[in-house]
Amino acid sequence: MKRIGKFLLIILAVMCAAAALLPAASGEQSKTLLTIYEGPKTMESSKIASVNVNGYDLFVYDVMVNHEHIWNANTQPSSTPMTYFDFSGEVRIEIRMPGLEQQVESAKVLPEAAGIIPEVQEGTVSFAIAEPGQYTVVFNGSVNKALHIFANPPEENAPDPDDPNVFYIGPGEWVMDAILLENNQTLYISGGAVVHSIISVANADNVRICGRGMIDGSDYPAWNQPGSSARVPVNLDHSKNITVEDIIVANSNCWNVNSYSCKNVTMNNVKVISGRQNGDGFTFQSCTNHTVTNCFARTWDDSLVIKNYSGSSKGITFKNCQIWTDLAQSMEIGYETDKGMTLDPEISEVLFEDITVLYNFHKPVISIHNSDDAFVHDITYRNIVVENAFMQGDNGNNKELIEMTLQNSSWSTVKDEFGSIDNVLIDGLTVLNTADGKIPRSRFSGHDEEHRITNVTLQNVTILGNRMASLKDMKLSVDDYCDGITVR
Amino acid sequence: MKVKYSVLFLAAAMILAFPAAMRAETVEDGNTIVTIVRAPEQTRAERPPCFPDPADDFIPLPDTENIAEGKPVQASEHNDVYVSSNLNDGSVQTYWESKGFPAVLTIDLEGVYTVSTAAFCLNPSAIWEPRKQEIAVLVSTDGENFTEAAAAAVYQFDAATGNRVRIDFAPTEAAYVRVVITSNSSSNSKGAQIAEICIY
Repeated sequence: MKRIGKFLLIILAVMCAAAALLPAASGEQSKTLLTIYEGPKTMESSKIASVNVNGYDLFVYDVMVNHEHIWNANTQPSSTPMTYFDFSGEVRIEIRMPGLEQQVESAKVLPEAAGIIPEVQEGTVSFAIAEPGQYTVVFNGSVNKALHIFANPPEENAPDPDDPNVFYIGPGEWVMDAILLENNQTLYISGGAVVHSIISVANADNVRICGRGMIDGSDYPAWNQPGSSARVPVNLDHSKNITVEDIIVANSNCWNVNSYSCKNVTMNNVKVISGRQNGDGFTFQSCTNHTVTNCFARTWDDSLVIKNYSGSSKGITFKNCQIWTDLAQSMEIGYETDKGMTLDPEISEVLFEDITVLYNFHKPVISIHNSDDAFVHDITYRNIVVENAFMQGDNGNNKELIEMTLQNSSWSTVKDEFGSIDNVLIDGLTVLNTADGKIPRSRFSGHDEEHRITNVTLQNVTILGNRMASLKDMKLSVDDYCDGITVR
Repeated sequence: MKVKYSVLFLAAAMILAFPAAMRAETVEDGNTIVTIVRAPEQTRAERPPCFPDPADDFIPLPDTENIAEGKPVQASEHNDVYVSSNLNDGSVQTYWESKGFPAVLTIDLEGVYTVSTAAFCLNPSAIWEPRKQEIAVLVSTDGENFTEAAAAAVYQFDAATGNRVRIDFAPTEAAYVRVVITSNSSSNSKGAQIAEICIY
């Protein structure tokens, strides 16, 4: 019987393989593929938003965000709806927002570059998409209860759950204190899964974290509250050859996707939404060879961050990412650039490319705060689109569009030595909207004759439809310790 | 019909593509092939099955109150910083280590109880290598005259079972419990080692 069973299994496998080839031969390629994930039976779909795709209801999660655009150690986050599915082809999305105080009269789909004009009829918003991506819908001209939709491409290369090196978490609601991954291990978090835990990868080689599900930190108070502590949802520490793909990180009680002293790390299609204290998005300290692509970060603190904690940072790329910064900076290098007080610290070969900033509400969009004594050089920003540059700053300060400084700060470790910034290129920066309809200021400030900001080129910069041709156009102030600052 | 069959085959292939851990249904709806990944029946958040709880393999302890916790304890001289108050402080993270053998400890239960179980715990962390200790349990109602509840025997401590030893004996009246430990196979110890003694 066992032999017959095996034989039948082989036959079935062959038939399925043949079936997988059939669509191409019979015109099936044009069909739309759609995968939707039931939410855990222990949770309720959002009462703020109801969403369906091609008529199929999606489970909508309410995730923590924060609309306070100023630091508050005891902040109470709000929530906003988020949902996700996988598809290829073309699908139509319908949204109703029963949680809004007023019926939806208008809606906008971001990023604007997607060119999606939604229909609004009797409070229902609908639109079609033909490209996987991250879409945000803003209703009635208000960012309150904006809906984040993560429309993933179909899943490929899911790991084999029977592989002894694979930890496979299926749909459902799960909890465990911590997940520690070691050499050659894979953690898969299925779509439809909500995992209340943290993932730690320390001193490990060749680790993969993947799947469409969510790591959720909502069961712990914010890290700075009495009796609590920081539980970093994805924490890579002194590891190498690490891949993080597709997961959603939400409701963290501190920062989110952290990499410290790691090398050869790739992250793709990772989505972060945070609303609590120090909720930095993707934050890397003293790392080398990191590539972050197709990711999303809506954060209540810096969105994309590079620092030096113990040694230098080199070869960090963020490409084709969307960010929404409720607090602090969107793309921050610093402030800590030599927290470990190492010899000759550097931050170099950093690339931000094809970055869309949906909103920045607080501090500079582009910033290099060399607050210790590092040599920061060869930094490139290419094709940056800022849809809404609404920097309110702190008491009139820190509201620049671009800021580069060589001053001590409250985050400085090395207070009696200073570094420099050299060879920075901003090639392609477009700002679509500002809070007051005016061009925002920018500021470069060196420290002294020996510690300067040099060779910074800004080209192809357009703000509010105006092409920038000079420092004056850009309202860019430059002090005596800057050389070779060019706008063209 | 060709298209219908191919869709059926495709649906079968997609269902098989989803691992057994993931229940998925695939249907054809017009020009769309829809896969719905179902959630399991749950009433609360659970531990992911791929991460078995090590506590599942721990030697179970009685559900009743541990009447030894926090009670006065006297013990043989301790080694280094591993003082006798660690014996019943409610934490397996701290432990008592005697200076040599025999190691004797006596717990004052502060009242007469019917007791039938003594449990001995070490830290369940796997960094505690397996070891054997020889243990006898005696009881008394007056603190002077002790009778044997469990004769001396060698017991295995293993992190795989929670580094616990449970000794059950015939129910007996006791106001004091005395434990005599005469050996410990661990090469890293100077005497007996107990992180927590529990009496039920």
